[in-house]
Amino acid sequence: MSIEVKNLIKRFDEKTVIDNISFKVDSGEILAIVGFSGSGKSTVLKLICGLIDKDGGEIKTSGDIAMVFQYSALIDSLNVADNISFALRERKDLRKKYTDAQIRKIVREKLALVGLSGVESKYPSELSGGMQKRVSFARAIVTEPNIILYDEPTAGLDPVSSTLIEDYIVRLKEETHAASIVVTHQMSTIMRTADKIIMLYNGKVVFTGTPQDLMRQDTPYTKQFVTASLDGPMKMLQG
Amino acid sequence: MREFTLKSTITYKLYRQLIIQLEDFLSTIGDIVIYAKEVISLILKRELDWKEIIEQCARFGVSSLPITLSIVGMSSVIVAMQVAGEMVKQGAGNYVGMLVAMLIVREDGIIMSGFAIISMIGSSIASEIATMRVTEQIDAIQVLKVNPIRYLFVPRVLSGVLMMPPVLVVASLVGIVGGGVASHLASGLSYRAFFESVWHGLFMKDMNVALLKAVVFGFTIALISCVCGYTAKGGARGVGEATTKAVVWSFVAIVLWDLLFSVIFFF
Repeated sequence: MSIEVKNLIKRFDEKTVIDNISFKVDSGEILAIVGFSGSGKSTVLKLICGLIDKDGGEIKTSGDIAMVFQYSALIDSLNVADNISFALRERKDLRKKYTDAQIRKIVREKLALVGLSGVESKYPSELSGGMQKRVSFARAIVTEPNIILYDEPTAGLDPVSSTLIEDYIVRLKEETHAASIVVTHQMSTIMRTADKIIMLYNGKVVFTGTPQDLMRQDTPYTKQFVTASLDGPMKMLQG
Repeated sequence: MREFTLKSTITYKLYRQLIIQLEDFLSTIGDIVIYAKEVISLILKRELDWKEIIEQCARFGVSSLPITLSIVGMSSVIVAMQVAGEMVKQGAGNYVGMLVAMLIVREDGIIMSGFAIISMIGSSIASEIATMRVTEQIDAIQVLKVNPIRYLFVPRVLSGVLMMPPVLVVASLVGIVGGGVASHLASGLSYRAFFESVWHGLFMKDMNVALLKAVVFGFTIALISCVCGYTAKGGARGVGEATTKAVVWSFVAIVLWDLLFSVIFFF
């Protein structure tokens, strides 16, 4: 139950957006991929879950992969219950495995796990951003995945909702022992969830370490990132 | 002074635009063929979600009916009003029903229904799926290991195939009745003379070809709308472009099909 990425390369047209990066995430571990916007963080997640094809390198994963999208990506024509149970009802290998009563029970359990109840019949447009995010967590874990990918899970949320989401990320890791990757540039999310960190700039890994290593600001990259300074090796326009 | 380069010339920009358009044209044709193959294969394997199919049938058939009936009915009334008076004067009143029925069953009914369904249903399918694409809902479906072609395309395409023939039958009936009423009001032609002429003018072959056309048109409109939505790129602009593309490609496709049917069955 882990993710192993070796010498990963991805190009869009002539531009190399992921340039020979490698990392490993074990079961029950959270890796934060950090960096400024446009550094290739979300591309790594899309490569791991197979939404886009790689141009080089190797990605080894074991078990089911789930992903929590930046803007939740709930299917807006389905209500909360149908969104959460979507994979159970529509996935070929799961379609006939559960009865309607079992599915309703699973939906209730997953909603309770993310601190929501009584919203089964609501549609995504009737929920706040934070609630949509929690429903997308519930949808992601419904198949009990071994790997969970989070794309900017706290972007656009207020500080209290962010804390709530960060707590759920840690809680899900503890309950599911999944290998997790959190793509973020929010310091609170990095500090509260990550076991280890890689920092990307122009598709390359420029820092590897723990949250404590990041806060020590030993390198020009970590210093610029933590202090949010315009001066430093990372130029926004190039990203 | 600005430096002169080949890339800054209008000719080069027009040439680039032409190449981009050509690439888009060829890739759209490729996409339509690939997805048509996949949809047919899934239908043959009975990979069907009946709940979704029934929902889409209601959308395709019921929601489109008022506009389809209005357009087919009105176009038939217009034709009848224009020809009935003149034909009665020339002593050819017994042929008015035949003319209106042939026009509706062979051409007007199906083409007008097709146009109505493209603007009403095709555009809505394309914009719905394009919105799902640009808001990562389709990515989410794929990550959940659900086949998006089975979930999105098959119910819509199948509803097009199943619902277009009944819509056409109802629209044609309304068109013929409307033609009869218009002929009576415009020229005093009796209803009996009109409907007797309708029966003389209609052949089984006309009706069978019309139903076959309806099946093909329903498949084509739904498939093209799904493909244009599914391959949308970008944000709100991408959704708009996908919708326009679906409408334009569906219009052209059904006219081409109509031409092909005319050559095969009536030439």
